[in-house]
Amino acid sequence: MHSQAGAPVSRRRFVALSAAGAAAGAASLSGCALQVAGAATGGGESITMMAKLDDVSADLIRQAQKELGIKITVVQDDITRLISMLTSGNPPDLVRGVGALDAPYFAARGVAENLDPYFARSTVLKVDDLAPANDLWRYDGRTQGKGPRYGMAKDFSQDAMFWYNTALFDKAGVDYPSETEPITFEEWLDSARRLVQRKNGQTTVYGGSYNGLGLGILFTNLTAAAGGSLFSEDFSRVDFTTPEARRALTWYLDYARTKVGPSLIQPNPDAWDGPTYVADRMAMSGAGYWLGGMINAEPKVAEVSRLAPAPVFRGGPRLSSCQGATGMWMPKKARDKDAAWRVFEWFFGEAPAKARAEGGWGIPSLKSLQPLMPHKEDYQKRVLKVQEAELKHFSVTPFTPYIKWDALEALINQVIPAAMNGRISVDTLVGRLNSVVNEQMKRGKEQVG
Amino acid sequence: MTVGQISETAQRPRSAARTGSARSTDLPRGSMTARRHRAFYMFTSPWITGFLLLTVGPMAYALWLSFTTFDGISPHWRYVGLGNYRELLSDPVTWDALSRAGVFAITSVPLSIIAGLALAVLVNRPIKARGLFRTLLYLPAVVPPVGAGLIFKQLFNRDSGAANGVLHVVGINAVAWLDDPYARYVILMAVLWGAGNVMIISLAGLQDVPRELHEAARIDGASAWRTFRSITVPLLSPVLLFQAVTGMIASVQTIMPLLIAPLPTPAGVTAIPQTNYMYMMHVFAEYFALGRYGYASALLWVLFVLILIVTGLIFKATSGVVFYNVDPEAKK
Repeated sequence: MHSQAGAPVSRRRFVALSAAGAAAGAASLSGCALQVAGAATGGGESITMMAKLDDVSADLIRQAQKELGIKITVVQDDITRLISMLTSGNPPDLVRGVGALDAPYFAARGVAENLDPYFARSTVLKVDDLAPANDLWRYDGRTQGKGPRYGMAKDFSQDAMFWYNTALFDKAGVDYPSETEPITFEEWLDSARRLVQRKNGQTTVYGGSYNGLGLGILFTNLTAAAGGSLFSEDFSRVDFTTPEARRALTWYLDYARTKVGPSLIQPNPDAWDGPTYVADRMAMSGAGYWLGGMINAEPKVAEVSRLAPAPVFRGGPRLSSCQGATGMWMPKKARDKDAAWRVFEWFFGEAPAKARAEGGWGIPSLKSLQPLMPHKEDYQKRVLKVQEAELKHFSVTPFTPYIKWDALEALINQVIPAAMNGRISVDTLVGRLNSVVNEQMKRGKEQVG
Repeated sequence: MTVGQISETAQRPRSAARTGSARSTDLPRGSMTARRHRAFYMFTSPWITGFLLLTVGPMAYALWLSFTTFDGISPHWRYVGLGNYRELLSDPVTWDALSRAGVFAITSVPLSIIAGLALAVLVNRPIKARGLFRTLLYLPAVVPPVGAGLIFKQLFNRDSGAANGVLHVVGINAVAWLDDPYARYVILMAVLWGAGNVMIISLAGLQDVPRELHEAARIDGASAWRTFRSITVPLLSPVLLFQAVTGMIASVQTIMPLLIAPLPTPAGVTAIPQTNYMYMMHVFAEYFALGRYGYASALLWVLFVLILIVTGLIFKATSGVVFYNVDPEAKK
């Protein structure tokens, strides 16, 4: 029935018209997004990069536009936004990721592009020149470290190595750790106990910080350092009840209970080690070479800072793993893969990579750039020597594709504070961890198919 | 002038003549009604479109998700029917989080209403620099929740916070404010800090109370408390009801515990002290840490229905005690 001119608009018709308007609005919104990309392509290529603003500064974006003729639109790194973009079929062209944790997850779900063909034809990024840490971005459908490459690290560290402040050691009368031979985790904790300074119930100087890049990855690596594996052979389950996993957990619970350093039950007001360490309020920081970028910027702190090898468990193997290998990957549905790869090459192999190498923020992921690492000052030479020796013990601890690392982290965070506060025993803790983590991994396995 | 009065005025032929629109007066009554309808719908259509696009659409999408195992990325999700709803009924974490949110609403809403009303009564008095006090008391309410969260996180940090600095001056050892069992009080303090919002609405209500009623009561010898109890509160009751309902809805959805958490990230949400791990924290963890979009959507739909039920119950329970100046039935 047609409505007559001048007749009142019925509610039903109005709702129908509004719905049509909403649909048209939605269509025009997505049309707008497409138009932006399309328009940019006409006057030079354009890509979207999901990154942290520290990774790609405004200057770098201008530099890319000038050198490559490619416009980079940066969207803030955020997993929820990434999922929205992937779900809507409009993903970024390059995405920041942590190779050690993200590579198997995204590769197993088929959302990451296999970059082997791109590496094969690249004149900038040659496979022979890639540092071993880049293998964390490989996944063969079963094991991390093998198979096609899905991304690349911008730099890396052996994250179990630790920095220490000799001035704070002197003040407490504690012997310095060796720069050539690893100390044991027990010795590390003993030193931290002697280094911590407290006043009126407040911690004024942390004895040491040892939290890794998160508890999930920390326990994976501590268990490996104790000679075991947190995951089953097919990576479909965790087992916190093995003697090695229990040893790792028990050590960390001792660390947390004695409150020598930041933990969930004693959070660091600075949120991470860097600012606390350079403010002389932390005697040891298990942050790896990467923290050197911040330390080098403070010459007074750098002069009293030393880097030590990754600790070992008494009787355990000597491992020095990379727990991060933060870099970039390319979604399979990236709109302009060739432009994205050109930016990828530039970011990882050209001017930005050289600037990062000279800054000391991690070890360059290309072997050819490693001579650029800071080595002019005495303290830089000293640190570099320790780091070079430690590279011989470089190791990769494979991670499971069946659980997102922040899910593992969240589940551990939910259960472990009760054990840190002494409200539950280690036996109860390992049982609960196995239960909640394996339930989540079971769902993950089902969804990977 | 009320909406009803405006509508009434618009129907009078006189009003059209006053505006000088001869054409309007010439139009048949049906045509004018049609124009009015069209104007109404034209003016409201941006909102209606936004409502459909940004509220109804996402809600429908969330309802669909709640019947699936979708995780945002994985290819092999499936329909589980009411499986997610069945699971949440037997999930102790859900019930614990819901009961904490309920307790928080029951304590924080009355406290903030009382605090806001008390402040409104104070700044309604003829005191010097009244405008300045009103501004200062309202100021915290305009601070974005993220900023307020950061402020409270810094204030109550065990090692570097001002709260422990004050305790130190009086010889008391530092307290771990952001951990159990104190963390819940920090959240309550954050709510009360923002009581300026309640104050400003109560103040508007207070200024609507006819002065002659207070004068008559004073002449009759009523005390200030009696006047407040028997005149001010009944006349403010619709305002208080509004604040109770909106306060309840806001408090069960609060994200303040996440903002003062040691790790305000998807992975860190579960590290929130147990007493502050409320329903929305659980929803946030299920969505963004565990990637259980289906289950989290079911949690949200259950919360939506619960809010509707509780709101209905509040209206029913207060129908005999809320005093409306204008009879809402009169214009029907």
